[in-house]
Amino acid sequence: MSAVPQRLAWPALALAAALAARPAAALAAPGEALPNPELPTLEGGKATLLSTRGEVSVFVFARPGQDHSARTLREMAGCVSDFREKPVRWVVVMSASSPPAEVRAAMAEAGLALPVLLDAGDALYDRLGVRLHPVVGIADRAGRLLAMMPYQAVNYCAAVRARVRFLLGEIDEAALAQALAPPRADMPGATPAAVAGRDVALGRRQLEHGLPEKALASARNALSKDPASAPAHALAAQALAALGRCPEALPEIEAALKADPKDAGALAARGACPP
Amino acid sequence: MTLPSPRAILVLASLVLGGAALATDAAPKKKAAPPAPSRVAPLPAGDKVGWSHAPFEAGDCGICHQRNDPKNPGPLTKSGNELCYTCHEEFAEIMARKVKHPPAAQSCTFCHNPHNSRERKLLVAEQTALCFGCHDDIKAIAEKSKVKHAALGTGQKCANCHNPHGANVEHLLVQLPFDLCVSCHSKDGVSDGRGAYLTNFKKWLDDNKVWHAPVEAKDCSACHRTHGSDNFRLLVAEYPAKFYAPYDPKNYALCFGCHNDKVVSEPETTTLTNFRDGSRNLHYLHVNKADRGRTCRACHEVHASKQDHHIREGVPYGSKGWVLKLNYTKTATGGSCAKTCHETKTYANKAPEKKK
Repeated sequence: MSAVPQRLAWPALALAAALAARPAAALAAPGEALPNPELPTLEGGKATLLSTRGEVSVFVFARPGQDHSARTLREMAGCVSDFREKPVRWVVVMSASSPPAEVRAAMAEAGLALPVLLDAGDALYDRLGVRLHPVVGIADRAGRLLAMMPYQAVNYCAAVRARVRFLLGEIDEAALAQALAPPRADMPGATPAAVAGRDVALGRRQLEHGLPEKALASARNALSKDPASAPAHALAAQALAALGRCPEALPEIEAALKADPKDAGALAARGACPP
Repeated sequence: MTLPSPRAILVLASLVLGGAALATDAAPKKKAAPPAPSRVAPLPAGDKVGWSHAPFEAGDCGICHQRNDPKNPGPLTKSGNELCYTCHEEFAEIMARKVKHPPAAQSCTFCHNPHNSRERKLLVAEQTALCFGCHDDIKAIAEKSKVKHAALGTGQKCANCHNPHGANVEHLLVQLPFDLCVSCHSKDGVSDGRGAYLTNFKKWLDDNKVWHAPVEAKDCSACHRTHGSDNFRLLVAEYPAKFYAPYDPKNYALCFGCHNDKVVSEPETTTLTNFRDGSRNLHYLHVNKADRGRTCRACHEVHASKQDHHIREGVPYGSKGWVLKLNYTKTATGGSCAKTCHETKTYANKAPEKKK
């Protein structure tokens, strides 16, 4: 996997994200340098929102007693473990008005052992324009926001994981885009060419079993679905050659080699039926 | 030696492969129900055959078995799915997808009869019944919900949205939910079971560029329970269907699933919302009323709007389809609504900038 020239990719990505993201711009905008306040933590002491050691930062705004937050914390527990040995710092942010026992229970239920920052008066929530729960924010090593991601019922962790991997330089922009908009998972036989491919595969097996007539029928079946299929033409050529019908095999050999000059089946048939 | 039962095999497969299939499913793990034992032998003579596997139909037992004798074909030439993939080459790509269906990865014959079947695709049972044989939780939702989704029973049924082999999206979805939903909900004149017209979402989203975050994330399932629901429009939780409703947080369970309920319960705030005049919370003012509270829909479009904050252009007025313009205007310090439900009112949530 190629390392990413992040210096080049970032501005384009941030701009694209800013343009594509909600025009309402309630949340902090991609590319924005985030504030890094120090907040009290659930366990006492203080901690910053973002890493101060040049790590990628992930912060999860959540609240106890809310289904989507609970589900997100559980899901993020899996995400966190994916990056255990990587320079990624995770924190959870909850309102300081949340009862501490409920916050502890929510973290325990999720199996998530992360610092919980307590946001007094929801000041950080307001400053970043969060306005809802949960939201997962992801910032680069310099503290610039890549994305603020409100709750997703589907592919939430997958989207977080892809963005973190992008910031770590593990995937490039194209791979990130594909992870965020995965390709359609067609059913088998979704296209005539795919169905024709099965006929060709069956025909090859039939040829191996000394059944050239049946292999020829399979090749014809395939060509009826995908007339331009080079493998189907090659199979027809091989079957006809095996049947000693070289004059009929020649145009099939030509058709196959025109589409793929290196087609092994067509070359084998030409050996048996030279022009 | 006793062979493990199909049930034991599936439980094992789920344990081994379930991580791959369900690793990204944050919901608590469902108990894997066993499938009915699959029949791999040809249908008994006299049974009505709908579909036959090509090698079986051609009498070429030797394509898969060690002998070409229908009465005594002998063992298979390869074990498990490898034999199927010899011809079904596209499965190399399908089973390399991120999310795999454990039974498919374990054995094609959990769902397909390799000889013949009454069903299309050589399925061992009618497709929905086959899926529900394991997914009894979805069966219960589909059958018992007050509001049903026609997609479950039409066209490719479960396979309208799910690929039962492998997919790139959680829950074996063929695409992200939005892409699946809009592929059907992009026509004019489609109505629900009670005759109510359903929105042409492609058109609506093309015309309204301020999209609600779940729409933006292509995640219709954040708000809609696609297999069935007890709430109108297949919503995952309650949402007021009308313009006015007495305030009760339960009525807004859908919105409060993400949005902070304090935005409507706190009369004063300087942090929870920008729809405030100074610290006077105007969400509270509009919504939190014991009798005629305005519901979210009074001012917001839930999918997409032309204005910021999902504010709708107008509100329905009366029973004749009139639309009363909201005339919302954003200002440097807040906003205003003019000549609508009330006379022009302006709010300011921040102090005006001082002239230099």
